[in-house]
Amino acid sequence: PSWIPFKIGQPKKQIVPKTVERDFEREYGKLQQLEEQTRRLQKDMKKSTDADLAMSKSAVKISLDLLSNPLCEQDQDFLNMVTALDTAMKRMDAFNQEKVNQIQKTVIEPLKKFGSVFPSLNMAVKRREQALQDYRRLQAKVEKYEEKEKTGPVLAKLHQAREELRPVREDFEAKNKQLLDEMPRFYGSRLDYFQPSFESLIRAQVVYYSEMHKIFGDLTQQLDQPGHSDEQRERENETKLSELRALSIVADD
Amino acid sequence: MDDIIQVSSRFLHGLQEMASMEEEQAHLIGNLFLEFQEEFERVYKVYCANYDQALLLVKAYRKEPELQQEIQGIIEAAVPQAGPSGLSFLLVIPLQRITKYPLLLQKILENTLPNASAYPILQRAMSALQGVNSNINEYKMRKEVASKYTKVEQLSLRERLARINTHTLSKKTTRLSQLLKQEAGLVPRTEDKDFNDLEEKFQWVSLCVTELKSNVAAYLDNLEVFLQFRPHECSLDISGGPAEQYRSLARDLQLEVFLEFKQRLEGLVWKPLCSLTRALVGPQNLIKKRLDKLLDFERVEEKLLDVGSVTYEEEEARHTYQALNSLLVAELPKFNQLVMQWLTQILHSFVALQRDLADQVLRRAESSMVQLPHHRAPEPDFRKLLEDTLGQTCSQLHSFQENFEKVLPHPSTQPLLPGSEYQMQALLTKYGPGKLYQVMSNISGTGTLDLTLPRGQIVALLQNKDTKGNSSRWLVDTGGHRGYVSARKLQLYHMAPSEKALRGLVAPHENFQLLTPEPTPAPSPTVQAMTQVVAAYPFVARSSHEVSLQAGQPVTILEAQDKKGNPEWSLVEVNGQRGYVPSSFLVSSPSPASWGWTLPS
Repeated sequence: PSWIPFKIGQPKKQIVPKTVERDFEREYGKLQQLEEQTRRLQKDMKKSTDADLAMSKSAVKISLDLLSNPLCEQDQDFLNMVTALDTAMKRMDAFNQEKVNQIQKTVIEPLKKFGSVFPSLNMAVKRREQALQDYRRLQAKVEKYEEKEKTGPVLAKLHQAREELRPVREDFEAKNKQLLDEMPRFYGSRLDYFQPSFESLIRAQVVYYSEMHKIFGDLTQQLDQPGHSDEQRERENETKLSELRALSIVADD
Repeated sequence: MDDIIQVSSRFLHGLQEMASMEEEQAHLIGNLFLEFQEEFERVYKVYCANYDQALLLVKAYRKEPELQQEIQGIIEAAVPQAGPSGLSFLLVIPLQRITKYPLLLQKILENTLPNASAYPILQRAMSALQGVNSNINEYKMRKEVASKYTKVEQLSLRERLARINTHTLSKKTTRLSQLLKQEAGLVPRTEDKDFNDLEEKFQWVSLCVTELKSNVAAYLDNLEVFLQFRPHECSLDISGGPAEQYRSLARDLQLEVFLEFKQRLEGLVWKPLCSLTRALVGPQNLIKKRLDKLLDFERVEEKLLDVGSVTYEEEEARHTYQALNSLLVAELPKFNQLVMQWLTQILHSFVALQRDLADQVLRRAESSMVQLPHHRAPEPDFRKLLEDTLGQTCSQLHSFQENFEKVLPHPSTQPLLPGSEYQMQALLTKYGPGKLYQVMSNISGTGTLDLTLPRGQIVALLQNKDTKGNSSRWLVDTGGHRGYVSARKLQLYHMAPSEKALRGLVAPHENFQLLTPEPTPAPSPTVQAMTQVVAAYPFVARSSHEVSLQAGQPVTILEAQDKKGNPEWSLVEVNGQRGYVPSSFLVSSPSPASWGWTLPS
């Protein structure tokens, strides 16, 4: 932020043209926003993949617990069904882990690396700001001497002040220019940098869900199920419930 | 009620048919009863079991005068002989009939000769109908016992405490002592293997249901969490291309596909599991109560042996136990079977839902993928390409980072340390002003070759990297010692021109260093064979040895050092002209287009 409360040591001359300052603010502003977005996206991606892994693990637990129930020893049909289900769940979990690893490598890591450039940028902007302040200070000093009566000592001091000012001014201008050149380039680089990651994300979904489709498609065939509609299934559920309720030992609720 | 009417009218029909056949009547009647016995049992038992409840309803109706009037009116119209007690009079009739049948048959039997052909049939019919009645009774009792014990009563603590009295306490302590005696082997336990097997299976079935329910709950919870995060809402200000594809795909998946999956899961898997869990409660209570009553029953048996008689209450306990036992034995197998069938149905639904989910996602993802630049590439090829590209862009990021780091702190000159004038002069003469650096903050060396220097010290640069090629560690000369220091703590030492003039030096290429306060080359990004080298900053040539540059201008490097071997300067050709330019003004820019990621504009 380049606003400074007015104090002694402020030059009269506008040393940085308004357009330049505005350009700088705009470019830096875009990058600050990008920094925030990059960080947020990285965090959300991580949380999303963590939840994904948790879901898969709880699916595996479903079939695992079923398999460990003693009913499996008595009922061969039940055992067959549960074993097939367990196999499917375990395979899906493995594919899921692979998917998450791929996302980690091709999306989350690049996000992190991109984000790691920002501290250097922010530091560079700070240093430019410092240079600007020094520049202002020395400029004011020169102006002070320029306004005084031109005596010998004053002229000597003026010359000295001008000599001090020059490298500082040049330093600021160099920094300013450097950043004004680099910042848009860096901002623009996000396009080429991130598009591959998004492509990878989509492909990872295709790979995973292709496997899932095959595995569960095979499983439904194996379990010899007709393709029921949701209404049919609901009706089946209702039927079973009323059959149960018909028994005296089942309480009415 | 309708069932009874149906069965009865068919029975009547049968009887009417017989009316014509004189001789064989008895025979036929017997047969008819035998034929109908099962149906009678079926329809009458339900009616009888619900009879008590029906009476209660009639009582309730009596309390509402309007309703009562309606009912009376209808009855008087249809059955005038019913009289004022109306409904209850009518309701008891079927009850009376079914109990009358055995008696009627007995009457017929009494009037039949023992040697008539119809005699045995009539005998069988009579005992069958007696059986029907006793079955109906048992059914009724079971129903009563079931409804008494299946419910879980929601009692408050106070209510529970109020229930405790000496009677219940003594019951419970008696049962407990009986149980303990059994555990200690003092008293034989009534072993009923069949029942135990049945109960065991029930327990496994219960376990299956409760575990599955809690696992599905966990799965649904995780699904909710998963749906919470919306990475696709963060756009990074990139429009078009794979980023756009991903955004719209992810939005579709979250708002439509996964939502539908969740809803179906809740309706077809979760809800039935909840119903199943509730259905388990009844049998569980009955089993528990049976055990209690069994303990009571065993005590009663003991007492019978000791004393020879038992109280009425104790007989009751025995009957209740027997009722519970027979009820459970009759119905638990069916219960277990139904639950297993339903569980299987539910699991089938679960599997079907997963397949449908995969189907939905895949369809959308595949249509997104077709629009991606590399969709034709098989996965392994794509991954290799991606790996290479990420490596590339990673080093590009490095160069950005380094460029930003080149924006150094303000070159304010530190005051010279007292007494170092002479040393500085010596260094100046030996190495030239371009090589002088000032220490910006205290350096403490750690390794054997590292120097420890105070702030303000002037050193001369010997090498801008160490023996391993690490460019952040520089070899410097302090005038007295040589060693390594961290490059970040050094700042090019500026001298005002007047100072330089004093020292009698105006070295060529001086001004360049005033313009760009950069330490001499941090390594420029690796120059690759096919990449362009461009000028990063403008440069104004000050002599005929040098050539001017404009920012962004492509140049060709002829020699990456000057005639003295100084790598700070490079001999380049630009615009047909040759000359020296500062090496650090040049950067290589990898052209993104060659990797195919640029978007069609």
